[in-house]
Amino acid sequence: MPGMVSMTQPIQQSFNPYTENGGTILAIAGADFTVIAGDTRQSEGYSIQTRYAPKVFRLTDKAVLAVNGFAADGNMFVKKVRQRLEWYRHAHAKDMPIRAIARLIQTMLYARRFFPYYVYNILGGIEEDGTGAVYSFDPVGSYEREACRAAGAAQSLVQPFLDNQIYFKNQTPAAGTAFPKHLPLSTVLPLVIDSFTSATERHIEVGDGLEIYVVLARNSTALAGLQSLRGVQEVTGTNDGERVFVIRRDLKKD
Amino acid sequence: MNTFLERYSSTNAVSQLKRAQRLAEEEDEFTDSAWGSQAGYGQLMNGPPSFTVPNVPDPSSFLRLHTDDHADPNCRIKIQHGTTTLAFRFQGGVIVAVDSRATAGSYIASGTVKKVIEINPYLLGTMAGGAADCQYWETYLGMHCRLHELRNRERISVSAASKYLSNLVYSYKGMGLSMGTMICGWDKTGPAIFYVDSDGTRLKGDLFSVGSGSTFAYGVLDQGYRWDLTDAEAQELGRRSIYAAGHRDAFSGNTCNLYHVKENGWEFIANYDISKLHYDGPGDVAGSPGHGYGYGIRVQGRSSANPPEATAAA
Amino acid sequence: METSFAITGKGYVLMAADTTAARSIVKMKTDEDKIKTLSPHLLMAYSGEPGDTVQFAEYVERNIRLYQIRNVYALRPAAAASWIRRSLAESLRSRKPYSVNLLLGGYDTSSYNPQLFWIDYLGTMTEVPFAAHGYGAYFALSLLDRYHDPSASLEEGLDTLRRCIDEVSKRLVVTPGKYKVKIVDKDGVREIEL
Repeated sequence: MPGMVSMTQPIQQSFNPYTENGGTILAIAGADFTVIAGDTRQSEGYSIQTRYAPKVFRLTDKAVLAVNGFAADGNMFVKKVRQRLEWYRHAHAKDMPIRAIARLIQTMLYARRFFPYYVYNILGGIEEDGTGAVYSFDPVGSYEREACRAAGAAQSLVQPFLDNQIYFKNQTPAAGTAFPKHLPLSTVLPLVIDSFTSATERHIEVGDGLEIYVVLARNSTALAGLQSLRGVQEVTGTNDGERVFVIRRDLKKD
Repeated sequence: MNTFLERYSSTNAVSQLKRAQRLAEEEDEFTDSAWGSQAGYGQLMNGPPSFTVPNVPDPSSFLRLHTDDHADPNCRIKIQHGTTTLAFRFQGGVIVAVDSRATAGSYIASGTVKKVIEINPYLLGTMAGGAADCQYWETYLGMHCRLHELRNRERISVSAASKYLSNLVYSYKGMGLSMGTMICGWDKTGPAIFYVDSDGTRLKGDLFSVGSGSTFAYGVLDQGYRWDLTDAEAQELGRRSIYAAGHRDAFSGNTCNLYHVKENGWEFIANYDISKLHYDGPGDVAGSPGHGYGYGIRVQGRSSANPPEATAAA
Repeated sequence: METSFAITGKGYVLMAADTTAARSIVKMKTDEDKIKTLSPHLLMAYSGEPGDTVQFAEYVERNIRLYQIRNVYALRPAAAASWIRRSLAESLRSRKPYSVNLLLGGYDTSSYNPQLFWIDYLGTMTEVPFAAHGYGAYFALSLLDRYHDPSASLEEGLDTLRRCIDEVSKRLVVTPGKYKVKIVDKDGVREIEL
């Protein structure tokens, strides 16, 4: 009787509080703006749980956080980061600078070193000197400032494309010319949209909707081109000068 | 509160973590420092920061189950591994050279990692193993080095700084920290290097290399090493050794970051693309061989064929 | 730990293999010759699963000899390497494969070229200017990338070989101890004292 064995033997239950909810996020820094984007599909295995679960969140007028991995951990983490930022506002009557938010996120992630948040974070926004910044994190808090980063399910599809189009990796400039150090918003936005439509074509966990946050530095030249865009919505909260916009697009839903 | 008593009670790792858990719960009630700008390091004066642990009988095996990518490549949380770092002491100070690749499984997660952690203007730490472990604890070490300066009106020695770090990570032994680091600097005793790892090992030495590509780096480094190397020769040896590891170890590569520690603190020399080193060499810099490091480039035109004289004439 | 190296130079191939036969943590023998002379201008260093190594090496040795008896001329190095690789590959697909790693060094008396082949137990073969098997490879390959010279004289070649052996003795936890060194050139095969 093979069934009898399991009746008499003690059963070891393993504690598994994690799952993977798919989706992809990315961020690209320009000279005086940053774009942070994520799709809105949330899935587990082959089942789609919802077609609209935001992964990108406005923290302040100069910082936007994208969170990917285990959605429950991600939402809780964003909630806690926002709480700390609110306390900072109460104590100092100003928003926390983005490099300080980056360090805060490191310590908050590392505080869970022995019970990690299963989340990959990308923080994008405007530095105190007015430049665009992207910070990317691993689940336990190691971080680095970069110009562009993709994370999540389609990371391995999107990042090589970005390396080629943003960093001009494996390209040689024509004789007598050089590659631009920073790309304009009018170049970056189509790259972001193309990244997600392509990832949707080839990855089952990516699709449904796309949310693109654009953070502009004070007097950013990118403003004019942005306002004429279809479906753009301003979500700026203060009069500090930095402005945050969100652009929503549909992605394929199959 | 009986925090004073608690701090000096049990030192065993698990009970220490249980205590940390209680502290973390207390911290959820939020102390004054959480309101200010001091972020996670705000409790610096209260001893090491506290950590949340899962409520299971063996927290370290829980962590291993979900993070160890050697045992299970499909496990969820991939901690970045794979590296080559080296440091050596010589007549002109300390050379520190590292690669810049971070891998998660076989995916190259980043090619621009800063594996030299600038603890302060005269102390450098290197990063191998868990990126977050090294970054976090070496930043933490930097803050304590500053406190040492304020309290004692003199800079901390490399020996004391490295011992602080090794005692710290030793107190977490068995909990799953992973770091292999070299603390490099210049103090009253001159140039110094200490190897510190998460087992609690701390070694003083002239020459170390750490990481998956370390054997390849040693191969070039040991053979070219002398105490009386000139600055230019030493920098070239550091570069060439990291190139060797980047060339032979798949988990290392992308670029090489080179630092030189001298009497008045460290100096960042340059960042070199390892593919460029292969084909073109380091360019117009001190110690450069003037051509690519690649084997095919170095031995171009040379042959092993050895025809007898008569045949050669015919 | 078993280690073998081979390097090519001006008109020769140098081979070195450690001489220890270990079982578990015990050294059973310290003067084992792990480099076979297959023909007047062909050397083979072998390492791997104890038992398999000698069995396979002797099987190869006898078949190469048989070819020479039948055809007067010995196989040229590339041809011998091909045959040996195929034997390993066929063995790999049998019920009990040989787990043997090989370095095959020869001097081609027709083209006056020294040749070196690196072959592993899976039947992977590649012609290389220098090669190594075992833990020593982790130290020697980068060293040889840096120091090997295909046009080196015998003295220079031996110096490079000494560098490899010194490096392994310096860094490898379990040092192999003594090495046997052999050379193959236009004059045939000789043993060399380092």
